[in-house]
Amino acid sequence: MKPLLTRDFVAETMKEWGTAEQVRHNRIRITATPETVRTAITNARELLECDRLITISAVDNGKTLELVYHLTGPHRSVISIAIELPRDKPEVPTMSDLLPPAGIYERQIHDLLGIVFLGHPDLKRIMLNEDWPLEEYPLRKDWKKDPGTFYGGIPGERI
Amino acid sequence: MAVPVSSLSQRLVNWARQRSPWITLFNSGACNACDIEIIACLMPRFDIERFGILVKGSPRHADILIVTGHVTLKQASRLRRVWEQIPEPKYVIAMGACGASAGAFHGLYHVMDTVEQVIPVDIYVAGCPPRPDEIINGVVACLNLMSADAVHGGKEWRQKTSAGIPHTGGAPGVTR
Amino acid sequence: MANVIVPIGPHHPALKEPVNFRIVADGERIVRLELDLSYNHRGIEKAAEQRDFIRVLPLLERVCGICSHSHSTVFVKGIEEIMELEIPPRARFIRTIIAELERMHSHLLWLGVAAHEVGFNTLFMWTWRDREAVQDTLEEMSGNRVHYGMNEVGGIRRDLTPSEVNAALARLPHLEERIREYAKMVNDQETLLIRFKGVGKLSRDEALAYGAVGPTARASGVDYDIRRDDPYLAYTEVPWNVVTDTSGDVYGRTRVRIGELQESIRIVRYCLENLPEGPVRVNAPKTAPMGEILSRYEAPRGELAHFIRTNGTDKVERVDIRTPTLANWTSVALCLVNQNLADIPVIVAAIDPCLSCTSRITVVNSKKRTTGIVTFDELRKQSHLRASMQERR
Repeated sequence: MKPLLTRDFVAETMKEWGTAEQVRHNRIRITATPETVRTAITNARELLECDRLITISAVDNGKTLELVYHLTGPHRSVISIAIELPRDKPEVPTMSDLLPPAGIYERQIHDLLGIVFLGHPDLKRIMLNEDWPLEEYPLRKDWKKDPGTFYGGIPGERI
Repeated sequence: MAVPVSSLSQRLVNWARQRSPWITLFNSGACNACDIEIIACLMPRFDIERFGILVKGSPRHADILIVTGHVTLKQASRLRRVWEQIPEPKYVIAMGACGASAGAFHGLYHVMDTVEQVIPVDIYVAGCPPRPDEIINGVVACLNLMSADAVHGGKEWRQKTSAGIPHTGGAPGVTR
Repeated sequence: MANVIVPIGPHHPALKEPVNFRIVADGERIVRLELDLSYNHRGIEKAAEQRDFIRVLPLLERVCGICSHSHSTVFVKGIEEIMELEIPPRARFIRTIIAELERMHSHLLWLGVAAHEVGFNTLFMWTWRDREAVQDTLEEMSGNRVHYGMNEVGGIRRDLTPSEVNAALARLPHLEERIREYAKMVNDQETLLIRFKGVGKLSRDEALAYGAVGPTARASGVDYDIRRDDPYLAYTEVPWNVVTDTSGDVYGRTRVRIGELQESIRIVRYCLENLPEGPVRVNAPKTAPMGEILSRYEAPRGELAHFIRTNGTDKVERVDIRTPTLANWTSVALCLVNQNLADIPVIVAAIDPCLSCTSRITVVNSKKRTTGIVTFDELRKQSHLRASMQERR
């Protein structure tokens, strides 16, 4: 088993695409931007040997929407690449061609938070039922259920 | 629908129904703990098949529908459709805290409030999840209800009192 | 040969959860798969933001009925790390005992279900009867057969008395002997060998590329186990081994799970015999400082990851749950292609899907656009028919 990656090595390798900090003994967090995130992940795959995607986490922190990509590899360190997106136009290029599992996670995030992944082959409903109205994203902080809309269930009967 | 209960053929049919009720399971989006406890009922330790109970896959072959889980918005119409396919006389057992009031998930955005909003329920079995012993108790209570209904010729005798509380006429072991 | 769409509806008796399969088959061979995860979606992540650390635990436990301790432990250990809280060693050991008992009951359950999918109902009855011993132990320790409710931020809610420890130790030898019996059965029994070997093959590169986790990945030779790679609880203090296999098919996954069963018994026995004395909880602060953590855990099905962000109050800002079954679905989509229709139940059951953690699958594809409807019951009957036909040969 290989040794864990050090913060200096990661900072040096990824310095064109973001700043690195060590948040835990085996996790290093890189802050990137939506424009550079695709190249950052490609280079993390090649230069840092991160061949597995653990998950893509999405957070609504009240002001912006954040995405964090967690990658790992044979060295067993976790590299988290974090970006921030504006609320009114949350768009970011897709990673599903670089990392195949990303396709499912991106569909899930799109359904629940409304982030658009440009270039995704099949961005349709995966978590919410088919009657759920479009443009309503439940996991956003400012979303509340509207008593007049029909969200699913038995049509014609009060839920 | 009142049927003359004194005829021999009807008494025979009622007796046969209570001695071999066939069950179908419907998971309406639950966390699966209740389903596992139901399957544990079929296993050698608790053995529900000694009551003549078979778990059948098709709703058309069943007498009793056991609904586990709080009903998610997506499963609501499917549950209604499955219930409509069961031939009369049919009975519904709603399992667990989720069946009664959506349990720990009350008020979540993709969950209905209770199974009663979708289909009429006859028996509620309490627990989260109910133990296999409690499930067997619930099924036996359902069989007792079946025999009480057969004596009265249908389900209409289970009228609600003016307070809105269903009156079961003292059928033993009925948890309402 | 005409392509047929075979939708298998959400109401079926085989899997415990509602699953909707729409498989497009070219004769008997499967062509493609798709995904639709909404039958079990409840909105837990949103509700978790409105409950404080005591009230959120019963909700998170009930994400899944089989891996309930996994969800609650991974959340609690994440919060404790953000708060920089050190829990007493006795609490760590007891959490490990419950975690391994849960792994045992889950793998025995899986063994029974996999045998049921190929028509071997005797093994189904036997494994579930032996599983009752594990359930009895859990019930004595925690008060419930599932949804134990043992965790809280700062330690464990209940202590183990010496009589509970001795009763648990007394049950282990019989279980060990039964599991040895099952290991022999998996190696010798013709029925299982025919239906499991060569079915649902996943190569090592595919498993790595598609992000498979847990026993599904370890059966393909991918050596990832969070208990060793990112240790937590008492796994650094207990001697244990990671079980891998190289065959990558359903047979390999069965062997990995049986190996893990034997390892779990060893871990439970070691922890029960060497339980340190002391308190089981420390007083935790009510609020957590601002922080972010990716908390990982080896659930019975694979790697479970909770991404937790706190904001200085007594509630979380966000808990993002990535379940192992979601990570494994892409690989099952891959290994179902070009397999027989009758093998679907076995292959899907082989990744041990916990659909309430995830949701479900719709499989669709077609060149000819004809539709046929088959229930999962009928598919299982086909799979049993195939087993008996092969035995006659």
